[in-house]
Amino acid sequence: MDFIANISIPAIVLIIVITAWIKGVPVFDTFVEGAKEGAKTAFDVLPVMVGILAAVSILNASGFIDILSNLLKGPAALVGISPEIIPMLILRPFSGSASLGLFTEQIRAYGADTYLGRALSTIMGSSETVLYTLAVYFGAADVKNTRHALAASLIASYAGMLAAVYICKVL
Amino acid sequence: MLNIIWVIMIFTGIASGLLMGRTKEVSDAFLESCVNAVELSITMLGAMCLWSGMMKVAQKAGLVDGLAKLLRGVFKFLFPGIPKGHAANGAIAMSISADLMGLGNAATPLGIIAMKELSKINGNSPTASNAMVMFAVVNAACIQLIPATVLIIRQQAGSASPTSIIPTVWIASLASLISGIAAAKLLEKRYRDPAYGLKRTASIW
Repeated sequence: MDFIANISIPAIVLIIVITAWIKGVPVFDTFVEGAKEGAKTAFDVLPVMVGILAAVSILNASGFIDILSNLLKGPAALVGISPEIIPMLILRPFSGSASLGLFTEQIRAYGADTYLGRALSTIMGSSETVLYTLAVYFGAADVKNTRHALAASLIASYAGMLAAVYICKVL
Repeated sequence: MLNIIWVIMIFTGIASGLLMGRTKEVSDAFLESCVNAVELSITMLGAMCLWSGMMKVAQKAGLVDGLAKLLRGVFKFLFPGIPKGHAANGAIAMSISADLMGLGNAATPLGIIAMKELSKINGNSPTASNAMVMFAVVNAACIQLIPATVLIIRQQAGSASPTSIIPTVWIASLASLISGIAAAKLLEKRYRDPAYGLKRTASIW
């Protein structure tokens, strides 16, 4: 598996460049032309990132996650979700760096091969920082009205995370 | 969408910071966040240039159309309305492949390129098209064959078999993907394209 992961990028790059060369594409000029567009996009995304990270960092530092976790403990226990997992369920869609930090801390505390360790690993591996992705993607495309994107993305995210919580009890 | 979320996040953050007596932490975090944002953007600037350049070469070489042809069936269902041979097909295919292989650094730039191509088809409208929302949702499901970062952290945490979570990750991702696609398909009728009217319900998000 490691080999496949390591070879994939060089292979793709080689195929692209050689095919383009054979077809008579001015390879480097075309690359630079595309790269310029990329640089412009990256600059367009910077203000979006500053805004999102500012709001996320306030929320993380405020202790709000702890308040919310405590409130949700009771209802979550009714549907079989361990209280230790709740902070991750709240944090994951909103902050990539904070959820990664929490994951690293929790997996050391609970053990990687326990139910909690495996459930948290599965949540981390199968979900995305939805808010950040939406903001960056739609920000780059200059979309103001994202319609049902947030609702559907959060449904996808929570379906996956809850699936992780239950599957790890069985498997 | 982000207007209301931003206000809620900042308000609840500052309010609970006051309640919990953590105003100094909140203040520090707020001021430091812009440094993190710039660091992230600079990292992404290089990757954006690299992958935008490679995509342009692949497109001119006709490789992008080839990749899109392979995936035509799936794309017709998920992203109807993309013209045949449009660069968006290839950009989406490349972006999803990068996701599958867990190439975080390449996946975000490729996703942005795909979203911009989809936006072109949508006439660069400030309102997202069904295809753009579906693309965002597919990304949210985070389909990865090998969740490399998680495996490394598990190993460092002393796991006897770091890879034992791969099957559960696949099942959870699949559950996420299926629910997300279903939700997007169902909701797209409620949050219609403004072209069909109903502008007000949609503008809340």
